[in-house]
Amino acid sequence: MATYAEMREIYDDIRGDFRYDHELNGCLNCGICTATCPSAQFYDYSPREIVQLLWTENVEQVYDAMQEKIWACAQCMTCAARCPFKNSPGGLVMIMREVAIKHGMQSAKDVLRPFGRVMLKLITTGNQLSPDMIQPDHFPDWGPNIQKVEGNLKTLRKAIPMRTLQTTDTAWEVSLKTSVEMYTIWEMTGVLNSLETMDENLFDVIEDFIDEKREEYDEWLEEQEGKGD
Amino acid sequence: MSTEQIQGIAGHGSFFQPTHLGAEEAAKATDWVRKHVDRRTMDLGERMDDIREHMWELEKEGEIIVHRITDAHKPVEVQTLFGWTKKIPTIQLWHHKSCGQCGNIPGYPTSLLWFMNQFGYEPGRDYLDETDQTSCTAWNYHGSGIGNVESLAAVFLRNFHQAYVSGKQHGHGLGHFFPLVHCGTSFGNYKEIRKYLVESAELRERVKKILGKLGRLVDGKIVIPEEVVHYSEWVHVMRNRIASELQKVDVSNIRVTMHAACHYYKMVHEDAIYDPTVLGGNRTAIGTSVAQALGAQVIDYSTWYDCCGFGFRHIISEREFTRSFTMNRKIRVVREEANADVLIGNDTGCITTMDKNQWIGKAHEQNFSVPVMADVQFAALACGADPFKIVQLQWHASPCEELVEKMGISWTDAKKNFEAYLKEVEAGRIEYLYNPELALGGH
Ligand code: SF4
Ligand code: SF4
Repeated sequence: MATYAEMREIYDDIRGDFRYDHELNGCLNCGICTATCPSAQFYDYSPREIVQLLWTENVEQVYDAMQEKIWACAQCMTCAARCPFKNSPGGLVMIMREVAIKHGMQSAKDVLRPFGRVMLKLITTGNQLSPDMIQPDHFPDWGPNIQKVEGNLKTLRKAIPMRTLQTTDTAWEVSLKTSVEMYTIWEMTGVLNSLETMDENLFDVIEDFIDEKREEYDEWLEEQEGKGD
Repeated sequence: MSTEQIQGIAGHGSFFQPTHLGAEEAAKATDWVRKHVDRRTMDLGERMDDIREHMWELEKEGEIIVHRITDAHKPVEVQTLFGWTKKIPTIQLWHHKSCGQCGNIPGYPTSLLWFMNQFGYEPGRDYLDETDQTSCTAWNYHGSGIGNVESLAAVFLRNFHQAYVSGKQHGHGLGHFFPLVHCGTSFGNYKEIRKYLVESAELRERVKKILGKLGRLVDGKIVIPEEVVHYSEWVHVMRNRIASELQKVDVSNIRVTMHAACHYYKMVHEDAIYDPTVLGGNRTAIGTSVAQALGAQVIDYSTWYDCCGFGFRHIISEREFTRSFTMNRKIRVVREEANADVLIGNDTGCITTMDKNQWIGKAHEQNFSVPVMADVQFAALACGADPFKIVQLQWHASPCEELVEKMGISWTDAKKNFEAYLKEVEAGRIEYLYNPELALGGH
């Protein structure tokens, strides 16, 4: 159990986010947000409650809500489009998720473990989903007829009349230079650090991958220079 | 359990109990709310700031460069939520792809590019599809919380800088190609981030350092687009040309329902397109407008505003939520209430969710289904595009063949043709929408 001081620190981090004042302008407790919220229909979750806890500076219950509730939100932003006060409960949830990660909360680690595959894909390739991820063994609940023509995935992808899409392990072909630029963004914005806090093993795999790609890029650059001589 | 019990009043705490009001009393009690949520309200517009005005000021002060939509982009003006004007460029477009579309529903981009070719656009001059771009990374961000405003802003500016300079390698000037964003989430995310960038000098300073390191500044400045434009907005402004110049199939017998992506019109909602001739101007016009222009029957339904249930994280790792929501609140309603022949959408996540989660419904005796595809795929079918080679319906799980047949197109023949074509593909004889060298910077 966290101490009050720890909970306070978390609360202050949420409040300290520069978006906080955009997303929370007061609250009528009218519940329009909850009435339109898809997650409220299936989880013990209410955007109105989240907003009220923040608005009333309920430090302990904010901490409590961060254990599980904030992960119920589907991020559809229906609440934001509807709130008569122009609050964005979904936006506040995003701030809370970021803070949960910053503090390496165990609940966040648990929730995100099954998300690792997407994260690996994203950080290493800049794409979040690839054709080889959407195979029946990954999504048995999508049924046996996940697609309508049988055949080798590579051939089916080659039959897409756009050059960039003829890939299987990324949604589209991303140039090596682009990927390397993206790694710099991850590093300079602290994304790799958060990843390390959340999942050290995943971080190690990603770091190796990035090193390899950078070497590949340097070699390519040298080759180009060689050609220029 | 009854649906009422399942939906209940979860999230309100146990001291909230059902009121057991009669239908009439309930309608009366919620009248004010409905008035507020069912119709768009223009009154807030006056209190809203138009971020684009601040953009021009920043440009004047020498802080940023605005990537302009010029006459060369042949823009069409439309109205957004509060009656503000938005410019939609129709040509010289840089295709900013969507990872979900390209990975999962490739018929989206192929149908769009096919339309551009049908209008006589020349690849490399009138549009460009290239490999120098990443996704917006916002799917992961909304799903996991990994990432932050700074990383999202750097990704946004990097991709849009590339769009700005991409014309050069093809012999055009800076700003020749204007970005056309394929994804609904990218569209919402980029606009949100643009707002923060315009408002926060500190954020601009921080990302400038990153962009500088990447060599992605122009005259030491970041490049921000005049408008963030979604592909469905292009389809919207081209709808009458699509119908009058290209339509081949009569679709007046087709009942169409639309699901507009939440991130299209609920994020930075002041920027979504509304049109008094479409759904009374109370709902965003995109998607519906092209079905209407093609002469299909547009059917309204009671859960129009609902999300699809995608949830970013949920579709991957809490799928029971995703499939229950989509089956109960979308598929059931468009099937049973609207008796729709097709449910069209304008974003990757929604289409995936609604298309792929129908089969599992059988486990709960939800024995109903409906074909699901993008507005642009439906329009392409109506204009005679090949259901497989171009519209790429082979990647869909929902019963799209039923729609195709009802449109009078033979699914079996098209499938046979495509299977024969796969042999050609294996032999390296691939038909392209554009010269593949263009994707890699060639001519
Ligand atoms: S809709 Fe807005 S004002 Fe009403 S309860 Fe939700 S956050 Fe509060
Ligand atoms: S963004 Fe989250 S809180 Fe808001 S309506 Fe959607 S699911 Fe509910």
